[in-house]
Amino acid sequence: MKESFFRSMTWMHTWVGLLVCWLLYLIFFAGTISFFRDEVTLWNQPALHNAQAPQERISLQRQQIIAGVDYLKTAAPESNRWGIYLPQERESQLIYAYEKPRPEGKRFGGWQEHYINPKTGESLQQPRETKGGNFFYRLHFDLHYIDVRTARWIVCFASLFMLVALISGVVIHKRIFKDMFSFRKNKGSRSWLDSHNVSSVLALPFHIMITYTGLITLIFMLFPYPAMTAYEDGIRGLFNDVTPTNVRTKSSDEPAPLTAVESVLDQVYTNWPNADLTQFAIKDPNKASATITVRASTGTHVRDQTPTLLFNGVDGSLIAKSVDEFSSTEVFYDSLTALHTGRLANPLLRWLYFLCGVAGCVMIATGCIMWAKRIRERMKKDQRPSFGLKLVEGLNLATLMGLPLATSVFFLANRLLPINMIERADKEILAFFVTWLAVALFALFKRAKQQWILLAWVNSIACISIPIVNALTTNGNIISYLLNGQWALFSFDLVCLISAVLFIVQVKKLRTHRQASVSNVRPSRVAKNKLREQSA
Amino acid sequence: MHAQSQKNSQSFILMDKIKQYYQSYAYQLSVISRFFAAIVGGYVFTSVFTALLSLILPLKKSDAVLLSISLTIFVYSCVFIWVFAVKSLKTIWITILLTSSACGLSIALLKGWL
Repeated sequence: MKESFFRSMTWMHTWVGLLVCWLLYLIFFAGTISFFRDEVTLWNQPALHNAQAPQERISLQRQQIIAGVDYLKTAAPESNRWGIYLPQERESQLIYAYEKPRPEGKRFGGWQEHYINPKTGESLQQPRETKGGNFFYRLHFDLHYIDVRTARWIVCFASLFMLVALISGVVIHKRIFKDMFSFRKNKGSRSWLDSHNVSSVLALPFHIMITYTGLITLIFMLFPYPAMTAYEDGIRGLFNDVTPTNVRTKSSDEPAPLTAVESVLDQVYTNWPNADLTQFAIKDPNKASATITVRASTGTHVRDQTPTLLFNGVDGSLIAKSVDEFSSTEVFYDSLTALHTGRLANPLLRWLYFLCGVAGCVMIATGCIMWAKRIRERMKKDQRPSFGLKLVEGLNLATLMGLPLATSVFFLANRLLPINMIERADKEILAFFVTWLAVALFALFKRAKQQWILLAWVNSIACISIPIVNALTTNGNIISYLLNGQWALFSFDLVCLISAVLFIVQVKKLRTHRQASVSNVRPSRVAKNKLREQSA
Repeated sequence: MHAQSQKNSQSFILMDKIKQYYQSYAYQLSVISRFFAAIVGGYVFTSVFTALLSLILPLKKSDAVLLSISLTIFVYSCVFIWVFAVKSLKTIWITILLTSSACGLSIALLKGWL
């Protein structure tokens, strides 16, 4: 492409990165929050704040399932699906759920959930309608407002560019070790380059791992061809081969009594002694085609496929059982997905995941800023900025500042919207996107340093107001969380406060930089840039 | 005869214009075609290559598929970078088309489609 391999890689790194950096920022941002999906969902449901899992969580599970089936037998004998979701370490409430009657022409009617305090066994107040952490989880790969399949293709495309940019980034980086320790402060685009390098190099293994495994999670949509060539019925054939519990049964309307739950549970515990169960689901209860699926937690194993047992719901016999021992290829493939989702992480590792994700956001953000800065520095005094430069600067401001603000507004809306509002969860999401749109419109008109300072102020105020509004509208606050050891909620508020401080630091930085920037550009630097521009 | 030469010169002018047009956008065009080669060409090559891999790997059927699926992204990104590293676009297209059709042909032979 260019004269040398090195130069063409530099060129490619710049353009591949710039084309998708804003989308990548969104993906990384939402993905980083999704590592704490359950905790964020919990924060969004104050009614569940005080339900804590008891000490003897696992030994209570048998009793909870039996009580749950009894409850569902009386509450929803006609429903098509029942589900019992057992308390986990990160989701401490017990949920009995059944499917609501299906509307005409729909394949699923949505869940009606009944929340139980696992310690006392009493019903909890129904929590407010919210998507919580699941919104960010979906946003991470389904985006929003567009068709899911299209969205996933777009996300795959951006991720591929990300992977290519990462590899070419390593290639063009001659002094990878030295740059780990160099940071030149207040030097215009030099400083941005340094922070780009530091955030990329420090977490480089994570970046490559998360991008590669992210693409692997969507691989059956992206590359179905190996499965299609090897199997007659393509991907379905592969799944049936790999997961024996993937048995499809035809629904029938013929009534038949449900088998005794105790006998099913006896079989479960002979198969898996001391199992930590997560789910007990019954399809077509009280019908001839009833099946019972029991799932167990994978714990901290690097494994994505959940151990599953499938029973016949009428005579209680075991139909299928998931594979206990994987072949080495299955282990390889399965661990890739497991590494991406990070369900295996204990709290410390989860925070490491989170910090690496933040480093990824910083890497992408500094990358987009650096491009605009460089072009600005190379511009002559009287030269007018090109359309491309204005576009990039506008998108930078709209995305880098708009997304955090939209997120803060999402959480504020969760506390401030009336609790019994119709379609409340959608209104929260609407608040998110309206805020982002507002910032984007703002960036359309002006995107100078002044606007960055203004938006940084707005962001820090929004971040501070989250714990304050939380303290005013719910029973708990950051201090009570600390005293009661509710670490998930405490960390959430703490992260808000830390981000507020960081935004204030940013304001300070932007201010000092504005005064210093005039004297900072050395003449030699300008000449060098000009030379580089000519040779490029 | 006079009319013919006029016609000729007219078409020359048209050719010239196209040439000029092409030259002024030559850089952009070469960039676009390179991205096209990287994205689409890379995709096609990766698809047939890994499909072939899933057939010839000496493993259990499901294992062969899972392994080749896990390697797709690696292959794709290698091709992508190679496309930007090689100077001549012609070389790129010829290599991609030849290797892809060779892989496709082997799949067809192995599956007994031919």
